[in-house]
Amino acid sequence: MSLLSVNGVSVAFANALGTFTVLDKLTFELQPGKVLGLVGESGAGKSMIGRTIAQLLPNRFHVTEGDLRFDGRDMLKTGAAEQRALLGRDIAFIPQEPLAALDPVLTIGQQIREHLDHIGRGAGRRPERDWRKVAIEALDAVHLHDPAGVLDKYPHQLSGGMCQRILIAMAFLSQPKLLIADEPTTALDVSVQARIVGLIGDMQRRHGTAVIFITHDLRLAREICDDVLVLYAGKQVEFGPASEVFERPGHPYTRALQLAIPPAAGEHRGLFTLPDRMPGLMSLKQMGGCRFAPRCPLAEARCHEVPPPDVTVGPGHRALCHKPEATPGIAPPPALEHRHRDPDAQLLFRARDVSRHYITRARLFRKPDTFPAVRSASLDLAEGEFLGIVGESGSGKSTLARLLVGLEGTSGGTMELLGRDVSGMDRGTAAFRRENVQMVFQDPQSALNPRRRVGEIVTQAMEVMNGSRADRATRAAELLQEIGLSPEMAQRYPSQMSGGQKQRVNIARALCTVPRLLIADEIVSGLDVSVQAQLLELLLHLRRERAMSIILISHDLSVVRYLCDRVLVMYRGEVVEQGEVDAVFANPQADYTRKLLAAMPGEGAPAAEKFAAEEAFA
Amino acid sequence: MFATIMKMLLRRLLVAIPTLLVVAALLFVVLRLLPVDPAAMSLPPNATNDEVAAMREAMGLNRPLPVQFLIWLGQLLSGDFGMSIAFRRPVWDLVSEALPATIELAFLSMIVATVVGVAGGLLAFYFRDRTAEAAIDFSSIVVLSLPEFLWALMLMLIFGVWLQWLPFMLRLDPQFERPVITGFLLLDTLLAGRPDAFMSALRHMILPVMALGISASPAIMRVLRSSLLDTYQEDYIHQARLRGLDERRVLLRHGLKNAFLPTLSLMGVQFGFLFGGTLLVEVIFSYPGLGNLMIDAIRNVDLPVIQIVGLAYCIMVLVISTVVDMLYLVLNPKLRVR
Repeated sequence: MSLLSVNGVSVAFANALGTFTVLDKLTFELQPGKVLGLVGESGAGKSMIGRTIAQLLPNRFHVTEGDLRFDGRDMLKTGAAEQRALLGRDIAFIPQEPLAALDPVLTIGQQIREHLDHIGRGAGRRPERDWRKVAIEALDAVHLHDPAGVLDKYPHQLSGGMCQRILIAMAFLSQPKLLIADEPTTALDVSVQARIVGLIGDMQRRHGTAVIFITHDLRLAREICDDVLVLYAGKQVEFGPASEVFERPGHPYTRALQLAIPPAAGEHRGLFTLPDRMPGLMSLKQMGGCRFAPRCPLAEARCHEVPPPDVTVGPGHRALCHKPEATPGIAPPPALEHRHRDPDAQLLFRARDVSRHYITRARLFRKPDTFPAVRSASLDLAEGEFLGIVGESGSGKSTLARLLVGLEGTSGGTMELLGRDVSGMDRGTAAFRRENVQMVFQDPQSALNPRRRVGEIVTQAMEVMNGSRADRATRAAELLQEIGLSPEMAQRYPSQMSGGQKQRVNIARALCTVPRLLIADEIVSGLDVSVQAQLLELLLHLRRERAMSIILISHDLSVVRYLCDRVLVMYRGEVVEQGEVDAVFANPQADYTRKLLAAMPGEGAPAAEKFAAEEAFA
Repeated sequence: MFATIMKMLLRRLLVAIPTLLVVAALLFVVLRLLPVDPAAMSLPPNATNDEVAAMREAMGLNRPLPVQFLIWLGQLLSGDFGMSIAFRRPVWDLVSEALPATIELAFLSMIVATVVGVAGGLLAFYFRDRTAEAAIDFSSIVVLSLPEFLWALMLMLIFGVWLQWLPFMLRLDPQFERPVITGFLLLDTLLAGRPDAFMSALRHMILPVMALGISASPAIMRVLRSSLLDTYQEDYIHQARLRGLDERRVLLRHGLKNAFLPTLSLMGVQFGFLFGGTLLVEVIFSYPGLGNLMIDAIRNVDLPVIQIVGLAYCIMVLVISTVVDMLYLVLNPKLRVR
């Protein structure tokens, strides 16, 4: 018997404008001990499935039809108290942001104890030692160092990876039958990611738990899932065994998503860029045919008019498409030709032995304690060259970027831009550097002032110049055009844009002064693969149009491999390796680079084995 | 944790010294600019000009202002707070009688403000998006828009004059003799073993405490509610629900504990205002505290008293804000560990 059976379940959102379907007739089964992957772009309704199972839908959302059974129980008819008794006990959740999911004012021990009390394994009237013992055993099982010490810590004293381990330990305390993991590794480093995934797999096998693994990372889904469900705009467009779905995708959307990801190894190829974006809730009602039709490369007239049938394309493999047989025909664009560096290109930027120390503790009469965030890093960058900087968080890659752009002063070393020394922080140097080097920050949500219009944001650099309003408006229109947004967008506020659009605006702002070098700090992390592909194409387009150099900081090695000519690997503040991208990826010299490459999902050994191998990593 | 708190106290103390000096200097200068002559006031009305001049000389009033200030400071530091011109008693005696009364009043008012504010905030949050919230919201606006002295007058008229449920003058019924042990009346009546006197003192405090406490509560309520709304957007609230905790537990253990932090910082400011509010409320209820002393002193241009009472208010506000910050440190683990 299936552990979870979902049959024609629909969820709708109601407001003054009407009722809008968020999830449309979902139908799938999950067997005990199996892993089901939920994939799709953000906004497709992936997280809503978990909330529906938990019966904790947000305000104004409700299940409109269907049958949802968990362990033989009709979940849509269970009362709130009964539901709560299931949660945390039989159904456990692992969240996306581990640091934010733990209460900041309670110690880890207090939170574990509360959970133990809830699931009936708690102390009750038993002595203090007892629950501590249970908690320590649980933390030990997720390979946390010094579990007893961790119990007395607060979440902010721990890293994201540690918090995620704690949440995994808590989730498995009750031996749940079903675990719902909502993007559990998205907020974590690649190296930590592999270990967390391995850990979840390990615990899942040991306890025989069924898992719903929500992710936008298709390679990860392929690696760990038995079955995969692809969701698009609330519709289940494909469902089947993971190997089937990824080897022989039946729905064009699945294929397009796969092709939007830069390959981590093997042949170089271009990225398939899905045009536009997923239709919003409000526009779904007007769509008579397939919801994917407007973006589908195979769409024909009937796709726009007739709802697609649910076609069986293989054993246990269904796709919602008019002509799934045509899907394999979608081909990736050809590989990029930019890869060969122009040997005659002039040197643009040169850094020698640049370092940065932070004072961790000031002392009276003695030299302060310092922490070296960057230790004598050297790099050369030619005009038009794309350089990738990779490394885990805390490796100093963002600090190095801040030094290069002049947001922070160096503790030592020299920097040269276009032959001029820019090591100092004086006004003249700063102005010269500002003209030629610009930075795009990681999170557009916080990098864009929410109270200013897009037009003002992108022309911010003109505020220090003597430009008229009309000049600024003209420039804003140019910039928006250049980054692929319509000029009318200038009147919008950042909150009225999608994540991908905001990141474009973020890039446009840096382009305002026509810089020679753009430093992009993790600008595609956390974005959907479709949006990521669009942005990567944008960067390539800018390079063609402007002969601009880019330093791309990323933890995603496949992005660096796709876009960059050379790569620089940082580890604990030091540059441990640098060279041509293909050479470094094919034949890494530093131990750390090898480990980093091995930790990529979809590469080499399955996650579980990798996990064992990587314990020595920390 | 203890070390962090000591460090903070030390830092606060270092800041308090210049703060008090500036306040003392301001009080001193402003009062000297008043067109009154303390020397003439200290003498009988029929004194001759020579006598006044002699008195000025004796009081040091013909010296430059900064020198006078330094002399006054020196006297303060040596424990000499001067003599009241109007009451002909040492200022220290007057202040040490009035100060405990005001502290009692303010302290009880803060408790009432906190209880009413927190309860109101929790209720308003609990009933969010329902009619009950609108009702709570409406009454909070009404309360907020009346100043505390109007509340004092209203409560006095309703419960004192009209219904005659509660006394509204002084601190004790006349049949009781006032025991003096610590200076704090509520404490002293208990220590003296007079529960009847304690009840009488308590009944006398209800109206002034309510007037001050109620008018300070809406701000607390509003900040608590909005910070609860913010807190409920956080992942840990959602995660607590996903673990199957019931709503009451989510609210009291996870929601309130986090939402209380911003509320606490507001309460520090609020209590500073509350102290200022005691002045008028004391006058209205003829409550023998610092406020009444201050008003009397101002009426008589009793400069030595005005100066010291002013300083006393300043010290009270500093102490309250330090205590609030200390609580903040205790409640917020992020600030505690360095």
